[in-house]
Amino acid sequence: MIPARFIWADLRRLWVGSTVVVLLIASATGLGVAVNLQERALRLGSARAAEGFDLVIGAAGSETQLVLSAVFLQLAPLPLMPGSILQKLSADPKVEMAAPVGFGDSFDGMPIVGTSAAFIDSRGHGKLTEGRIFRQISEAVVGAKVKLSIGDEIKPLHGLPDEGGHTHGELAYAIVGRMAETGTPWDKAILVPIEGVWRVHHLVDGHDDREEHEPEPASMTSIRIGPPWNNPPGVPAIIVKAKTIADAYRLRAEYRRDATLGVFPAEVLTRLFATLGDVRSVLAAIAMTTQALVAAAVILVCTVHLSQRRKQLAVLRALGAPRRAVFGLVWVEILILVGLGVALGVGLGYAGARIFSGWLSATSGITGPIALNLEDLTLVAVLLLIAAVIATIPAAMAYRQPTSIALRS
Amino acid sequence: MPSVKLRDVQVRIAGLERPVIDVPQLSIDAGERVAITGPSGAGKTTLINVLVGLERPNTGKVIWDKIDIFDLNEADRDGWRAKNVGIVFQEFHLFPGLGVLDNVLLPQQLRSFRSSAEHRMRAIDLLRHVGLTRLDQDAATLSRGEMQRVAIARALCTRPSVVVADEPTASLDKNSADAVTELLVDLSGSLGATLIVITHDSSLERAMTRAIFMDRGFVMTSEGNV
Repeated sequence: MIPARFIWADLRRLWVGSTVVVLLIASATGLGVAVNLQERALRLGSARAAEGFDLVIGAAGSETQLVLSAVFLQLAPLPLMPGSILQKLSADPKVEMAAPVGFGDSFDGMPIVGTSAAFIDSRGHGKLTEGRIFRQISEAVVGAKVKLSIGDEIKPLHGLPDEGGHTHGELAYAIVGRMAETGTPWDKAILVPIEGVWRVHHLVDGHDDREEHEPEPASMTSIRIGPPWNNPPGVPAIIVKAKTIADAYRLRAEYRRDATLGVFPAEVLTRLFATLGDVRSVLAAIAMTTQALVAAAVILVCTVHLSQRRKQLAVLRALGAPRRAVFGLVWVEILILVGLGVALGVGLGYAGARIFSGWLSATSGITGPIALNLEDLTLVAVLLLIAAVIATIPAAMAYRQPTSIALRS
Repeated sequence: MPSVKLRDVQVRIAGLERPVIDVPQLSIDAGERVAITGPSGAGKTTLINVLVGLERPNTGKVIWDKIDIFDLNEADRDGWRAKNVGIVFQEFHLFPGLGVLDNVLLPQQLRSFRSSAEHRMRAIDLLRHVGLTRLDQDAATLSRGEMQRVAIARALCTRPSVVVADEPTASLDKNSADAVTELLVDLSGSLGATLIVITHDSSLERAMTRAIFMDRGFVMTSEGNV
């Protein structure tokens, strides 16, 4: 057999070629691993972001737009539903919680979302890490990643985060609480009582029977917040938690007619992922093609390299190495390089996915768990298996080469 | 110790009208020291290749002590060569990156993975004998004369019955060449091994007991040195 020290000396002697082969394999593997990891992270991350949003009800329009806005806070102007729907849902015995979500303002690029305290309570992992829930119209609770401290005061800027507009001078919010991190876009949102959003947009506050009127700035802090609402103004979306699953389906059916639209976010996500799945197939195909090209390049390099070391292999035979040892030497050396390349590639893919995920999290707020699992190990095993089979080609060539050249100069 | 007999050995290359070697009969007794000389292209290397089973002749037999080595399958022939033959190359063919001792132990490790303590002791003795004491020195850092001395230690470590050397002194200066000649003769003599060298070096040739002169594939003369 070929001693390990000989193999090590051999690889060290050929370190430039070996390094190139390892890097080629690493980049191809890395690409495949990164695509898998990222796709899985995105899928799990967005599914996690949709947790707790059992049913979303909005005005008739695009389901995707409704879910993107209400669940993922990718805000776009949504048509408003009549406030009576919020009132009706709040009173519905099938409903455990109905929380309005209203947008329209932002602060420092972060959306200000009007809702009710019940919504913050209902978020599965929405426990507060600091402070308390808002109790007045001028108080706000921030997401885990919002760079504001308890006690800070903000004045909302009219318009969605990307739009900009005038500052609402009439109302300032004091930060009173911070939610735990959820890995969702809500980590970067500022939650305020819905009444505040209504107020700054010159709508009634939903707690009296009078028609719209301009509120007196002085009276702002004394306004009651939260349900029950009485004749509330329009809202773009309502997050509903039904008492039972059957109730959720009933509610969805009930609000899927006329002017409203009831959707299960999970359902919309499934549809989105079907599209995403196509993209993933394309990426996976690209990754696989790259791997095949790299495999071809590596075979070529190995073959050319083998022709350059015919003499060395013949000398080994002349010195007494059996043919199988020469086969083994070539095979093991290739497998070592492929093994190193694949291991490095998994590392690169993991790091790449982490970096991409970090960027995605910074831009969209969705944090996906980047973790290697059995699927990736299978990919690694398959790559090594293919390499083990392919490496038999140059190894067999080494096995078959004549020994007579050992003594020829 | 085995002797060798060649019978009707021809090696041909497709496209060439004349055989590369054509040796109807040649015997070398055990323990002989034989120099093979002749002009370039005379077939010297091919003859050695055939003698140690590295190249199969198109016809003929190569019989070492009643065994026709080309009746053996390739694996058995490899085994026979590993057991019986030590080879010294003109360009040494030590393996850079491996230490001196590892280079000497390599032929045995190629077959059995681990070298025995006895084998290791012999390797160290041989290296001392050829004048090398830094056992872990990278072979690539040796002088050419030292490299060839390590190669001789490597060839003799398995106590072969035949030592074959292809122009062992050709790329060395006079002093190193003389040292190599002396070592080859002494060490193979101490084993009682047959020594067959291809050489153009007259002092190495003189140290042999017999000279075979080849030309255009034929053994022209084969005579004992006086």
